[in-house]
Amino acid sequence: MEGKKFGITLGDPCGIGPEITLKALHAKMEYQKSALLFGTRSLLEYYNSLLGYEMRFNTIKKIEEWDDSAINVYDPHPVDISQIQVGVVTSLGGTIAFESVRAAIEFALRKDISSVVTAPLNKEALHLAGFPYAGHTEIFGAFTKGERYAMLLYSEKLKVIHVSTHVSLRKACDLCKKSRVLEVIHLAHETLKKIGYENPRIAVAGLNPHAGENGIFGDEEIKEIIPAIEEAKAEGLNVSGPIPPDTVFLKALQGSWDIVVAMYHDQGHIPLKMLSFESGVNITVGLDVIRTSVDHGTAFDIAGTLKASEKSLLKAIEIGEKL
Amino acid sequence: MNDKPVLGLLTGDGAGVGPEIIAKLAVGKFFEQYCRPVVIGDVRILERAFSVIGSSVPLQVIGDVDEADWSKGLPILDQRDQDPEVVKFGTLTTEAGKANLNALKLGVALYKEKKIEGFCFAPLHKAGLKQAGSKVESEHHLLAQLFNHTEPFGEINVVGDLWTTRTTSHIPISEVSKNLTVESILRAVRLANTSLKTSGIAKPRLALAALNPHAGENGLCGREEIDVIIPAIEKAREMGIDATGPYPSDITFIKAFRGDFDGVVTMYHDQGQIALKLRGFDEGITIAGGLPAPIVTCAHGTAYDIAGTGVVKTSAFENAVKMASRMANHLRLQA
Repeated sequence: MEGKKFGITLGDPCGIGPEITLKALHAKMEYQKSALLFGTRSLLEYYNSLLGYEMRFNTIKKIEEWDDSAINVYDPHPVDISQIQVGVVTSLGGTIAFESVRAAIEFALRKDISSVVTAPLNKEALHLAGFPYAGHTEIFGAFTKGERYAMLLYSEKLKVIHVSTHVSLRKACDLCKKSRVLEVIHLAHETLKKIGYENPRIAVAGLNPHAGENGIFGDEEIKEIIPAIEEAKAEGLNVSGPIPPDTVFLKALQGSWDIVVAMYHDQGHIPLKMLSFESGVNITVGLDVIRTSVDHGTAFDIAGTLKASEKSLLKAIEIGEKL
Repeated sequence: MNDKPVLGLLTGDGAGVGPEIIAKLAVGKFFEQYCRPVVIGDVRILERAFSVIGSSVPLQVIGDVDEADWSKGLPILDQRDQDPEVVKFGTLTTEAGKANLNALKLGVALYKEKKIEGFCFAPLHKAGLKQAGSKVESEHHLLAQLFNHTEPFGEINVVGDLWTTRTTSHIPISEVSKNLTVESILRAVRLANTSLKTSGIAKPRLALAALNPHAGENGLCGREEIDVIIPAIEKAREMGIDATGPYPSDITFIKAFRGDFDGVVTMYHDQGQIALKLRGFDEGITIAGGLPAPIVTCAHGTAYDIAGTGVVKTSAFENAVKMASRMANHLRLQA
């Protein structure tokens, strides 16, 4: 058991997670030696034979049981393959997805693995199983240390970090506060520095149309966003804004900035998905556990059909290693 | 010359790039491929534009559209209302504002008299219209007023083949939710539906974007989808409109640009604008939606900063002319 290891959680067992994980490990064989999979082993066996791969698995409970000659799996909730309803939202799916993530966090906190890459889970299933989290970001927030964290979407063309994520648009307005905007500016700065940007150029989007046009269409820019930008500038950060939401991404894409601070989920997701559909990586930044993930969902509609692409997962592994 | 639709071409604000766009396209023999053009503007302003681009076409000054003879040059109804000495490049003036108001009024009047079959206006300056005494919110309100229009109307943004209408527009994001009602959403749906039909699409496929992340995830992050958007979609379908959704906003545009829909109805300003501008702001056009006449403009503005330099791109206005022509041709078939 030499070298750096990382975890991959298989996500909801009824979705495409197990399939894209095996495809990724098949596409990049070297990962077979360093990846610890968190999820249902019987399902891995099933996809292994369906895909015609000849992978061997080794179930472990703790890192000391690592076997270099097989793919190591931590199965938090062993079930028979017949219990898994592929393509369906189930409470069992939610339970397995949650317990896999919990286990991966424990391994990461013990430094048994250096980062965690997550395959998609289904929030409805999670809630059915009695785990009221809005998503991976929030589970990691609850079980790791780190007072402040944010969701960063990463692609070669565009990088976006979010002030709020899985809340209603109405609630997102209430979360647009000076202290939080400043916190997210700091997170953007720290993360890009880790990836190798010397003095990251950060653009802050407005919340309202035309960035509020001097308070005519909303005053969050004046009351919250501008004061946060001023304070960040006073600290010496390279920050601009608030920039009208409908031009900030275009200008970032053209090279004016390295990253955009978006005020709500869709403000950042619309441009990123348009530009990098299925190749973007979702990173939770600011925690003591590094977590990256694919930026697509469980895709229940194509689960079990072997049509899912492993591209985003491979990218997520690569970025996780850089951080 | 041809049987193509007679379209008015308003030069827009003489201090902006409008006259140069029209001059370039006239020199490039663009208009005659799609229409029989009649310019509405000040001859002096158009001549200044010809000198900016260093090339020109013969003009035929007419007093009435009936006098237009396209074999004798580009017909222009000379308004003598934008003095180049006053309307300098890059300068906002009341004179240009007034001229633009009058040109819009003339365009509508000529349409009602059946002298023209629609018109395209080059960029005008909203502040100029206000300075000239216009009391209405925008040129779209003015046009609706001139037509005594009571049905839904408003701007429709088009990039490529994708049409978008907005349920709410220039209001704070925190007020979007309370402005979403079955009625306000249906208004935007009907606007898109009616106008797409005017362009010749018999049964437009309309997608409604959701308001909340992941379309609210069955109420987990926001209830507007359940409370108003889905009921509005059901009502639209009862009316025979091919409306579907609500789709998560980040997915809506991927599907739409792939060709799954003819139109997208958005819930707020930036939901559509972020996607459209990334897709190709240079190409975008705005249709005065819901009105009986084909009235189209380019999405970009007066671009005062580059006016008078001749560098302006004409692609958006070209698309505006193509669309007005397409709509006018379709209306002829329906008549």
